[in-house]
Amino acid sequence: MTARTATCACGRLRVACEGEPARVSVCHCHACQRRTGSVFGVAARYPREKVAIEGEATEYVRIGDEGNEVRFRFCPTCGSTVCWEMPAFNDGIAVAVGGFADPGYTPHPVRSIYDASRRHAWVDIKVPVERRG
Amino acid sequence: MTRIAACDCGKLRAVCEGEPVRVSVCHCLECQKRTGSVFGVSARYPKDKVRAEGPSRRYSRVADSGFKVTFDFCPTCGTTVHWHLDQFPDVTAVAVGAFADRDFPAPAFSVSERRRHSWVAVAGDAVQHKE
Repeated sequence: MTARTATCACGRLRVACEGEPARVSVCHCHACQRRTGSVFGVAARYPREKVAIEGEATEYVRIGDEGNEVRFRFCPTCGSTVCWEMPAFNDGIAVAVGGFADPGYTPHPVRSIYDASRRHAWVDIKVPVERRG
Repeated sequence: MTRIAACDCGKLRAVCEGEPVRVSVCHCLECQKRTGSVFGVSARYPKDKVRAEGPSRRYSRVADSGFKVTFDFCPTCGTTVHWHLDQFPDVTAVAVGAFADRDFPAPAFSVSERRRHSWVAVAGDAVQHKE
């Protein structure tokens, strides 16, 4: 079985993931833009029991557009957010794809959220994705 | 023109006057880990055109160039809003995503493309692509 580890920039916060993610998606919303400092976020959603979080993390809770709580974990030393959860949904744990530091990471995204309203026009997603909002 | 970059929770802000001197995308693995996205996007401003407000925590690392880079991030939400490069002491780099503005000037450079995820590219006729 595939085992991959996502880490923060300094390496102290690590998220070990077993197997394949249920889904990879891109989100262009303003909160993902601010949080990443990039112009979109990329999340790989794994079943909770396939993920082990190692190292110290600070939790940051944000209330999403639809009133749901999102709980992010970031490294207190370097600031990288490595994973997050939405407890209202039994939808696993989202891992920041950049944390894997693997340009060959698969699967590729299948969804692009806030694509019409928030995507910077120069971002060219070259694979077929379901585009929303 | 004044633009304000802010972290997700809004406590750390960078107030930027005028236009950035360079906007670039970087696909390097360090930018991937820092952002959690698959590339970083930075807008460089003259240092005296950027005013930081709010508490920040600093993280430094040595870049591939051998020069130190020092990032300022929000201790509450983790967002890195701006950073300084010892290699270019007169500029402040600001995270473009923190402006939350799709009309922010588009990048003219896309660097470390050897690390680019194949499913996404930086579009634009004038963009300079560097390996």
